[in-house]
Amino acid sequence: MNKARQMGFSYLFLFPSLLLTVVLGIYPLGWAIRYMFYDYKGYGEARFTGLYNFRRLLADTQYWDSVVNTFIYAGGKLIVTIPLCLLLAVILNQKLKGRNLLRAIYFMPTIISSAVMAVVFFIIFNSYNGVLNQYLLKFHIISERIDWLGPKNAMMTTIIIAIWGAVGNYMLLFLAGLQNIPNDVYESASLDGANKRQQFWYLTIPMLGPVLQIVIMLAIINSLKGYETIMVLTEGGPIGKTEVMYLYVYKLFFPTPSSGAVVDQQFGYGSAVGFTTAVIVGIITLVYHVLSNRMNKMQ
Amino acid sequence: MYKKIGTVVLSSFLAVSLAACGSTNNNSPGTESGASNKPVETDGATTPAKNDKKTKIVYWTGDRHDMDYIKEVVQSFNETNPGNIEVEMVVKTDDYDQAIDLAFASGQAPDLFRVKENTIKTYVTKGYLAPIDGLMTEQMKQQFPVIQDFNQIDGKMYSLPNYGSTLRLVYNKDLFAKAGIAAPPTSLAEMVDAAKKITEVGKADGAYGFAQNFKNADSAFGRSARVIAEVSGYGGFGYDFKTGRFDFAGFKEIIQSFKQMYDDGSTLPGMESLDIDPLRAQFAEGKLGMYISFSSEPGVYKNQFPAKIDWAAAPVPTIDGTVKGASSFLGGQWLALSSSSKNQEAAWKFMEYMYGDEILKTYHEKGFGISMVPSISAVAAKPDINGIEGFLPNDNDATWPLSPAVTIEGIKYNDAFFKYMLGDGDLDAIIQDLNKRYNAALDKAIASGDVTTVAKPDFDPTKLGAN
Repeated sequence: MNKARQMGFSYLFLFPSLLLTVVLGIYPLGWAIRYMFYDYKGYGEARFTGLYNFRRLLADTQYWDSVVNTFIYAGGKLIVTIPLCLLLAVILNQKLKGRNLLRAIYFMPTIISSAVMAVVFFIIFNSYNGVLNQYLLKFHIISERIDWLGPKNAMMTTIIIAIWGAVGNYMLLFLAGLQNIPNDVYESASLDGANKRQQFWYLTIPMLGPVLQIVIMLAIINSLKGYETIMVLTEGGPIGKTEVMYLYVYKLFFPTPSSGAVVDQQFGYGSAVGFTTAVIVGIITLVYHVLSNRMNKMQ
Repeated sequence: MYKKIGTVVLSSFLAVSLAACGSTNNNSPGTESGASNKPVETDGATTPAKNDKKTKIVYWTGDRHDMDYIKEVVQSFNETNPGNIEVEMVVKTDDYDQAIDLAFASGQAPDLFRVKENTIKTYVTKGYLAPIDGLMTEQMKQQFPVIQDFNQIDGKMYSLPNYGSTLRLVYNKDLFAKAGIAAPPTSLAEMVDAAKKITEVGKADGAYGFAQNFKNADSAFGRSARVIAEVSGYGGFGYDFKTGRFDFAGFKEIIQSFKQMYDDGSTLPGMESLDIDPLRAQFAEGKLGMYISFSSEPGVYKNQFPAKIDWAAAPVPTIDGTVKGASSFLGGQWLALSSSSKNQEAAWKFMEYMYGDEILKTYHEKGFGISMVPSISAVAAKPDINGIEGFLPNDNDATWPLSPAVTIEGIKYNDAFFKYMLGDGDLDAIIQDLNKRYNAALDKAIASGDVTTVAKPDFDPTKLGAN
């Protein structure tokens, strides 16, 4: 009886979130899965086209370019963000004066709206009167303005902004992980003669393992899904150089208004592209999960 | 025991708060729309004292430039109308089209709202609009011009014109004088040359000859290449009305000239990611020789970015210096009634009021937009705003027919042209590929019944005559 009541309670607690998941998660997913096989503009008749949207997707070079761009964007962001966050977390975990203030400063970008961030960074990076170019010229570091948002540099610039935006968040997670490592471990290591570097490699990293594993997984998913800052900063341009997968999907559902021409929404094709993108992100996450688990077991 | 009681109390509390969260979330779209139904820009001005017998109607607009004036008009309607109608005005400047879709999808559509030349036909197809033929008086039918596909769709009227937009070359007279250029360019070759000369004399001070807002290639070419093509006799969106097919060959020399200016270094650095407002800010500061845009620019340089320079607007250049087609006069519609309005009669009363002679005349004279109603433009004084002279319609401004909307597979023409501008490539091959894909999409749209096209061999782009 007690057990049944306990189960009842569990289901009672699960019900609201289950309801929300069904209404806001599963129902839209079912909707998208249905329209993947249709030609549908959001109004009028939805025409069944079978696998046509997927055949179109295979030949859609703009989409596959956006997949490559997403990998460059996510890769560039992760390679810098994860080590940097770990380093900052280790430094700020020590007994430093003003460490709380520093933690707050590093965390601040996380709570700023990504759209506002993008506008501010446009003021910094734009090539004709951007603050960055002005200072670089003033201090004679460069002699010609650098086109930070031009076709050659736009991706690098968006990665820099993404790193800035992500550092505080992951640093905080690492910090939480570090604070769970008991001090006695370090004390006994010191007694055994281990220096700081050895302590970091042989104590901190292994003991942070589970946190590291989760944080990297979250970082991968977030990087592959992120598009908001890019949408405001470059709209995926110039000439698609910063177009990432989810921005491409977004534009199929909500095309940017043009000057005068009638623009149609592509709900059917957008659903097919969105679903494929979700599968790509899912596969990458799964591969990472399996690999990291295997490495854990090997250790 | 205490622990058990504590758990039960805590659980009940959590359950209630979660249920509350759930209900908040479930209601959130409604709440959001409900909130947005409240006037964004009203400070009591448009909502007079409460009276239970009042018929309340909601009016949505995406226009910000005329907001203060329209607020006054709404207030005066609310105070004076004999039918006890109260209008709530909602100004939505961001994502207006999406907000309209959402409002109709959630059954919270406004009673009447602003429609544009690129939305009205789609809204009719989506069933958002109510025809107004039965409501219009004979006098109104005489006064307001019928423009096919822009206010009359499939034989039914859905909106009436108020103001329209012309397209012009906007130029900095100071920089032109400094570069020794006597008059604004009339051909592509002159434009390329002028941009080069301005850059030569201006570069030291950070001033360049030409710029376009390439953050969105559709928006950039949609205001520049489009109108140069039109005045040169080609459809501005690549559609050839004579043959009833797409043919982008008319864009070849235009895009080549844009590329030439880019390669010459005569364009504003960073224009690849430039939005229209930062471009205007640079022009207002005197850092830009010329660009092409709509007749909303005088308002921008009066209010948004007060211009520190002497500037003017001139007809856009043609490909070879000869005018072979009309320059787009966009518009033909302003307000429309919602098909789902429960107070259509009251909404029409307000719409009728908004289209009153005095209101439309003041609208024109204050410089919010150039009147497209002949009876108004005949009597209204010249708009009181610097720079508008060059934008006022002349004999060559007319409304082009609507190009068919098709769903393209692969890169769109504006993006393809921009890509060519920034790099290398065979423009002929690009145009051939565009023609092939756009015509395939057109055939598909015709086959499915979404689009009907008729070739008009005697179509004359110089005789569109909407004025």
